[in-house]
Amino acid sequence: MPVRPASGPRPPGRVVAAVAVFLALACLPLAQPPAFFESFLYLVFLWVALATSWTILSGYSGYFSFGHGAFFGVGVYTTATLVTAGEMPFLATLPLAGLASLLLGVGIGAVVFRVRRLRGELFALLTLAITFVLATIALNTPIDGGPGVFLSGVSMPRLYATPASTLYLMALLVAALALAIAWQLQYSRVGRALFAIADDEDVAEVMGVPTFSYKLRAIGISAGLAGVAGGMHALFVTYVTVSETFSITVPLYVVLMSVMGGMRRWYGPALGAIVVTALTYAFVGGEWALAGRALIGLTLILVILFLPQGFAGSIGAWRARWQPRAARSGAQLTPHGLSPSEAPATAQAEAAVARPSILSLNPPAAAASSSGALHAAEAPFLRCEAIHMAFKGVKALDGVSLEVHSGEILGLVGPNGSGKSTLVNVISGLLQPTAGQVLLDGEDLALLPAHRAARAGIARTYQIPRPFARLSVLENVALPAMFGGLQLAPAAALERAREALDFVGLLDRAADLPATLNLHQRKFLELARALAIRPRVVLLDEVLAGLTPAEIDSAIAMVRSIRDAGTTILFIEHNMRAVLALTDRLVVLNQGRVIAHGRPADVVREPQVIEAYLGTAAC
Amino acid sequence: MPSATLLAQSVLSGVFSGALYALMGLGISLAWGLLRVINLAHFAFVFLAGYLVYQCIGVSGWSPTLVVLLALPLFFVAGVALQWLFARFSVDEFGSLLVTFGLTIMIESLIQWIWTADVRRMETPLSTWSVKLGPIYVPVAESILLLVTLAVVVAAWAWLRHTYVGKALRASAQNPVIAAAFGVSHRRLAFLLSGVAAATGALAGVFVAVGSPISPSQMFGSLGVVLAAVILGGLGNPLGLLAASILIGIAEALTMALTAPSWAPLVSFSLLIFILVLRPDRV
Amino acid sequence: MSMFSIAVRGIRFIALACAVLAGGAALAATSGAPVRVGGTLALTGPLAPTGLIHKLVGEIYLEQVNRRDGFLGRPVEWVLLDDQSKADLARSLYERLVTVDRVDLLIGPYATGGILSAMAVAERHGKLLVHNTLGIPKLAKYERQIPVYSIGVVPEQTLPATLFDALAANGKTPKTVAFVTSKFPSVHFMSVGARETAKKRGITEALWLEFEFGTRDFGPIAARIREANADFLWVGSIGLEGNQLLEALKKLDYAPKNPFFLYPSPGPLAQSPDGANALSMTLFEDHAPFTNTPQAAEFARVYRERAAKAGITYLDADMQAAVAYAAWQTLEAAVTATGSLDDARLAQWLRANRVDTLLGKLRFDGPGNYGDDLQKIKQVQSGRWITVWPREFAPPGARMNLQ
Repeated sequence: MPVRPASGPRPPGRVVAAVAVFLALACLPLAQPPAFFESFLYLVFLWVALATSWTILSGYSGYFSFGHGAFFGVGVYTTATLVTAGEMPFLATLPLAGLASLLLGVGIGAVVFRVRRLRGELFALLTLAITFVLATIALNTPIDGGPGVFLSGVSMPRLYATPASTLYLMALLVAALALAIAWQLQYSRVGRALFAIADDEDVAEVMGVPTFSYKLRAIGISAGLAGVAGGMHALFVTYVTVSETFSITVPLYVVLMSVMGGMRRWYGPALGAIVVTALTYAFVGGEWALAGRALIGLTLILVILFLPQGFAGSIGAWRARWQPRAARSGAQLTPHGLSPSEAPATAQAEAAVARPSILSLNPPAAAASSSGALHAAEAPFLRCEAIHMAFKGVKALDGVSLEVHSGEILGLVGPNGSGKSTLVNVISGLLQPTAGQVLLDGEDLALLPAHRAARAGIARTYQIPRPFARLSVLENVALPAMFGGLQLAPAAALERAREALDFVGLLDRAADLPATLNLHQRKFLELARALAIRPRVVLLDEVLAGLTPAEIDSAIAMVRSIRDAGTTILFIEHNMRAVLALTDRLVVLNQGRVIAHGRPADVVREPQVIEAYLGTAAC
Repeated sequence: MPSATLLAQSVLSGVFSGALYALMGLGISLAWGLLRVINLAHFAFVFLAGYLVYQCIGVSGWSPTLVVLLALPLFFVAGVALQWLFARFSVDEFGSLLVTFGLTIMIESLIQWIWTADVRRMETPLSTWSVKLGPIYVPVAESILLLVTLAVVVAAWAWLRHTYVGKALRASAQNPVIAAAFGVSHRRLAFLLSGVAAATGALAGVFVAVGSPISPSQMFGSLGVVLAAVILGGLGNPLGLLAASILIGIAEALTMALTAPSWAPLVSFSLLIFILVLRPDRV
Repeated sequence: MSMFSIAVRGIRFIALACAVLAGGAALAATSGAPVRVGGTLALTGPLAPTGLIHKLVGEIYLEQVNRRDGFLGRPVEWVLLDDQSKADLARSLYERLVTVDRVDLLIGPYATGGILSAMAVAERHGKLLVHNTLGIPKLAKYERQIPVYSIGVVPEQTLPATLFDALAANGKTPKTVAFVTSKFPSVHFMSVGARETAKKRGITEALWLEFEFGTRDFGPIAARIREANADFLWVGSIGLEGNQLLEALKKLDYAPKNPFFLYPSPGPLAQSPDGANALSMTLFEDHAPFTNTPQAAEFARVYRERAAKAGITYLDADMQAAVAYAAWQTLEAAVTATGSLDDARLAQWLRANRVDTLLGKLRFDGPGNYGDDLQKIKQVQSGRWITVWPREFAPPGARMNLQ
């Protein structure tokens, strides 16, 4: 798979080639091929459209749908009903079929995507259950009622001379539409966001991705495409019945095709659809029916075992191997980050040159107050007011109030379970407090979704690094630059990401997958992600935990230079040496309450602080 | 208004259907919850066992005990072989779904090749024998099914809960790295669990063959409802599975008793949707 | 020559090359001797149990016809494809048979959905389509389709009429009737018709239940039937549903009075001890008078032999086997009479003449080319299906057993 920037002009050659292929296929009926080929290709295109629509939701965002039978079926019955009972012209029903499915998809999403746990197999099963429910409704109401809907009298639009050619052309158009959308999405901000959601949804949200609305878009587009395909297919089968329409075949086949083809690339499902449909046809001879069926099963097994990334994944890996390394300087977006490479030799040199740039990237207002002194007199710009947080009756935070002043490093310490991480989750918007306010410049963020906090300029790191596993290091950093406070266009975000990586010294690993980094580097990757949005305040959650003393020293230096560049820091840490060395003020939390605050040296001498620590965990 | 007898009889019928869903779903739930393997081929195992039972008991007239004693180890080995395949190729969750779908198609073809697509029916006196308790008829075969299901489910629960193997398996499922650090050999345990799961499938196959006529393509017939029970019950949770299965069975049976039976799927699957959306933590 | 026409020719050449590759040797053979008849059957998938019977019968027929002198002195070859029980696949495969394999004649697949798909293709190419199991006559709207499944134009009225007449003739007109029906399309409309017929005849409806095709648990339905305890039970079932329902009833220690099953799998119901005296509809069974002609007797004998070899459990040639055979007979009759393979002439002849088949003399001149309703009532007696109504089709000495 070629690597190239997320935006900017597409290589014109590719677009021209795609248009040429499309036109050639669209002109195929002029050559008057046997109708069977059009009919066969119709089915190929139908499955290309359905499998691609599945991938837009499930391959990209990781929400595995088993409900494409429902989206497809709603399209089928919308068209069937409108052309028979409503006597509408067939072509006019197709947008409505798409719209009906789109509304169903968005409706499902609006309910389901609010429930955090409904991911993975639960989402898959939920959508399957919806399919069965819709089938039962269609069967027991006038939508079908049992006898099926026969579209015999429906006049076929005449896009070409014969109905077979017309259907062929329609399927080609629908498939091309699906592929174009999948292609466009893959390299757009939306695609980036969906890939991040697939890897770690909470982190994506905290980085500024409005996950809920993006997931809604994905399911809407996906369902809409499936609905259009369904509407078209109603005319192809002419006799529509509930049991064939809402069967388990559609969801199983689209999953099968997408996984076989490779579901994190726009063209993967299409490859899978072509192979599976061709296989289905290869063994229709009466004598070979059974053996053929067994062979399809065997092929499926072998492909999954030997090509776990699907055909597209294997093609991508093969191309990555054969492309000259220099061509992939690692500083560009890969489609999904599965082709790690070594950095070019020049990266280190570039890094040395680029380092100072971070200083100029911070908001001037913040930079102005970056003296490192105590800022007690200044108006706090981040304030937590009486935050309460209860989990099923257990109080994690019990009226916590604290202030962070512009340009300072505020230390937050406390024994394990004192509520530090909960507080970080509340401030970064991941958790909504039971009561209380999080005020940034007077605006209350407490009840807003996490991405709003990121947009307002709050960034955080995770105690245990949570990089997006299938995105490259660079893409990991580019994502918050795209969606956090800066809202950069993809190309600018990459630039910004390179600067941030350079600042933490990871530019030479930009093209690698996070899994290849050691813990120390992953912590710095977390830092780079936080810095990429040019944050006004950074919440550093135990960045030092698990590091060696030497690494701690370099990390302390790094934190200090971040502050010196003008960024306000809330520093959560167990390591007292680092806390005393870095912080301007210190807040101590115990059992969900603030038990002390003030100058670090004073605070650590207060009896209740000593008691809290000695009573529970030594530091 | 339907009579109390009708309602009681329907509830009983629902309990029995639920028992079969649970017995069919147990292997899927265990493998899914503890091994992260979604084994669609479990349905194929159930039917293959059903056909073997039909052949050995129904046609060749072997002793049912002997057949069960032979089938269980046979399917245990099949389960182990399947797990070996997954381990050898480190197949992920959805990969396992597709591999086992392929395997299901192959087994379906095999069954059709051996036994043809024609319907097979094992006639045993058990199939239609019932006992009358007051106004209620209690079918004997289904009662045995219920008892076997209860025994197997409770045994599976106790096994996971109270033995080293079970604890180690649950530990591995939660955190393979830490479990490995404590010397848990996940590989061997996985073989054991996969074998046991397949063997429970064979047991379900016996009751499928006794309970109804079979044809190859029917193996997907109860896929949806069994998966619903597996998820509702909580993955890897035998008691939860049993409760969910029986709940679904009763809900469907009561719908059939009180309204048009064709609405029955709506009730069970709406139930699933509502529980998933409103109470996701319970799942 | 313009670039455009070069491009068109190029594409045409590629398409042709593909056609040759796909059609393979088959295409080349068309110019040779055999008459090629193309069709699909559900050889895999949920409809395969019946597809299997149709395949066996086709093979038997082909042997017989080729032992005579084929069609017009040319051997007959059957290009049989597997539609996997899917209607959309059937459609593409009929396109293939017509445009790639270029078969001379078409024969229909099994079951309503597939037949409608095939019919749409036949219509587009002006082909004759002889088919044998289209259960909903009003859906047949093409001039050159020939329905061998002789259930008349409005079976949803005529079959219930035949049935209730049979009951009345035996002095057992029911006072109450319970209807249970699957929502399977070709079953459901018949049940609705039966319901209307019963209403017209003043029979009280004790129960009307619709269940979904694919229902697993018949316990509650059985309990409601038992509760209704009607004089007559209409079961709109297809395949195994009838058996499952009977077993569920038996577990409630209830034997329904006079149960009628619409489209049961013949074997399991006849062979089940609970199936005794179950009623159903038929067009042919393996007994006199159907087997009085040498051809029918020979067919029944050969079928029994082949079915046993193929592993089928119910060995009597029943309705499905006979309609499959009759379709071939119809095709042959038209070819022989017209001396032609021309679709228009064949269709025209068939619509104007009567054809002698296993099912009786068929005509194709009514609405939708349907003719008379030849449906009869059969009953399980001593483990076999025996036609019991109209009386002239019952084997000597057979009586309808009613409660």
